[in-house]
Amino acid sequence: MLDLRIPSGFFFAITGVILVAVSFTNPHAPMTDANVDLYTGLAMVAFGGVLLALANRSRKT
Amino acid sequence: MLSWLKKSDVILPRSDPYPAIGCSCASRKQTQFLSRQVPADGHAGAVCFCESGARGCSHGKAIQVTLSAVDYVILVLYFAFVLGIGWRLRKTVTSAGEFLTGGHKVPVWITSLAFLAANLGAQEVVGMCASGAKYGIMTSHFYWIGAVPAMLFVGVFMMPFYYGSKARSVPEYLRMRFDEKTRGLNALSFAIMTIFSSGISMYALGKMFQLVLGWSFDASVILSALIVLAYTYLGGLTSAIYNEVLQFFLIVVGFSPLAILSVQKAGGWGGIQQRLPGVMTHAWKHVGNAQDNPMGVEAFGLVAGLGFVLSFGYWCTDFLVVQRAMAADSMSAARRTPLIAAFPKMVMPFIVILPGIAAMALTQMGTGYTLPAKGDGYDYDQALTTMMAQFYPSGMLGVGLTALMASFMSGMAGNVTAFNTVFTFDIYQSYIRPNASDKHYLAVGRITTVVGIALSIATAYLAAQFNNIMDFLQLVFGFVNAPLFATFLLGMFWKRTTGHGAFVGLVSGTLAASATHGLSMAEGKGGWLGSIHTFPSQMAQNFWIAIFAWSSCFLVTLVVSLMTKAHEESTLRGLVYGLTEIPVENVAWYRRPGPLALIVAGLLVLLNLIFL
Repeated sequence: MLDLRIPSGFFFAITGVILVAVSFTNPHAPMTDANVDLYTGLAMVAFGGVLLALANRSRKT
Repeated sequence: MLSWLKKSDVILPRSDPYPAIGCSCASRKQTQFLSRQVPADGHAGAVCFCESGARGCSHGKAIQVTLSAVDYVILVLYFAFVLGIGWRLRKTVTSAGEFLTGGHKVPVWITSLAFLAANLGAQEVVGMCASGAKYGIMTSHFYWIGAVPAMLFVGVFMMPFYYGSKARSVPEYLRMRFDEKTRGLNALSFAIMTIFSSGISMYALGKMFQLVLGWSFDASVILSALIVLAYTYLGGLTSAIYNEVLQFFLIVVGFSPLAILSVQKAGGWGGIQQRLPGVMTHAWKHVGNAQDNPMGVEAFGLVAGLGFVLSFGYWCTDFLVVQRAMAADSMSAARRTPLIAAFPKMVMPFIVILPGIAAMALTQMGTGYTLPAKGDGYDYDQALTTMMAQFYPSGMLGVGLTALMASFMSGMAGNVTAFNTVFTFDIYQSYIRPNASDKHYLAVGRITTVVGIALSIATAYLAAQFNNIMDFLQLVFGFVNAPLFATFLLGMFWKRTTGHGAFVGLVSGTLAASATHGLSMAEGKGGWLGSIHTFPSQMAQNFWIAIFAWSSCFLVTLVVSLMTKAHEESTLRGLVYGLTEIPVENVAWYRRPGPLALIVAGLLVLLNLIFL
């Protein structure tokens, strides 16, 4: 059976990397000065990484 | 069914939305922002088309969001993953049971999140945000006295009978417990209703993308339907459930930054409290009298109608959600499914309702953001998308819109997988062709999936053409659903309840619902039999229709059961309280239903106290 954490982990990691990559050149959104792409991108990479790490750990045992 | 109630209150605009949309360009700040944001380079940003007019605003155009390449990349990436999951899971399907019920081997964390996501359609997300802008924190009642207590009940008390009965669907449980006619009634109304609601939400999605992104209605409806079809056809219920979990993550990731950013911009919860009237920031303080709050409901109607009848009726009997729990790999996991789901469910108001409330506060503040106007008031249904356009740069905008797409798909896949199971097992196998081979039913299940999606698309186009028929049907389904929980409650906890009692009770409940609607008025609706009472709002009317339907069904089932011959006890084993062995859970305390439910209940009380 497919371990769902693997595709989910990859999806969020890849999307996160894309967001971080575009965050440096993108203009900010009209109502906020925060670099939304950068922060959510980093959070997504972290979330994807945790999912992948968990999947990897249970695969070994 | 809860969604019926919500749809009649806050939904995406049914009639052609264009004439109603306006964007305020009156304020100086807004005008400045506009001149900066005109997307010469094709980059994202909210674009408001202004003309010199009465309020400096053209009422002919919507606030449009322009997506950039990166947004499309994220959307396509998501489609690829969803299809990939379906493709990987295609090998797990070798029998009708595996296709339609998931073969009882889905891990509990997955069934739990799917339990939540199957209900979290695009209409839910957009509607809850709209409701937040319109009613404020009182919207949380849909979660904190509505959904969550019902989820605790189904996990602790009802799941032993659903899972223990080995029924493959809720209508099948009704046949085992009562009789063929009760099952037939439930199966038929459920099958029609799921198609109908998936068609309606498809229509809403198509309209919204047309309005916000300028996409073609046909293209967005057909593309999203084909993707849902592909992954449910390949991997059946398991694939739908797995994808629902990915969709749930995406919904959380896509919408929670908006909640954080918008509340921060509005000065935190304290700032919102200062700027909005108290009725928007208190959930309970103003429900003593229906006249005191914008929902027009009073505490009893709220707790009994929404909290008890409608929410329990939906979360405890609707096969769409119950099916997710029944797919779990053990009885213990099936019981824990709604209980674990209750934790994220409790937090959902912060993600979907808060941006709506913040939108209202920002509108008051004159920060440059104004909720689009509609007639004399606001177009609340645009709260979510306009806020995203204001707070998300391109990239994150793609994630947000993908999340909206994901919520739509999870809702639709939920409907389709529930429909194909009920049709195959409860209609086809029962009335059309019993005793065929498993291979045959697997084929029928697959064909039904295709037919179900085709019918949903047809319904979406029907909704575009005939609004009145859709409103009428929605009303009728509401009447059919309202009494259901009384039947299940008596059926599961009182062994004397008979099939005749259940059937007559259901019919009487539906009649009572129609009569209540026919004899009362609210906002110009109802009263087709003559009006003897006027409700302050349609929502109050809906709650009281439910209360009357439930009570009538309860009483009639009770009386007719006592007048008819009792079922043999031997036929009720595993189906009724007292004749079913509730398994002793030999697992750690935090995995047992009782303690889990108590923790959730404690947190629930706390949340209600905080936002009293």
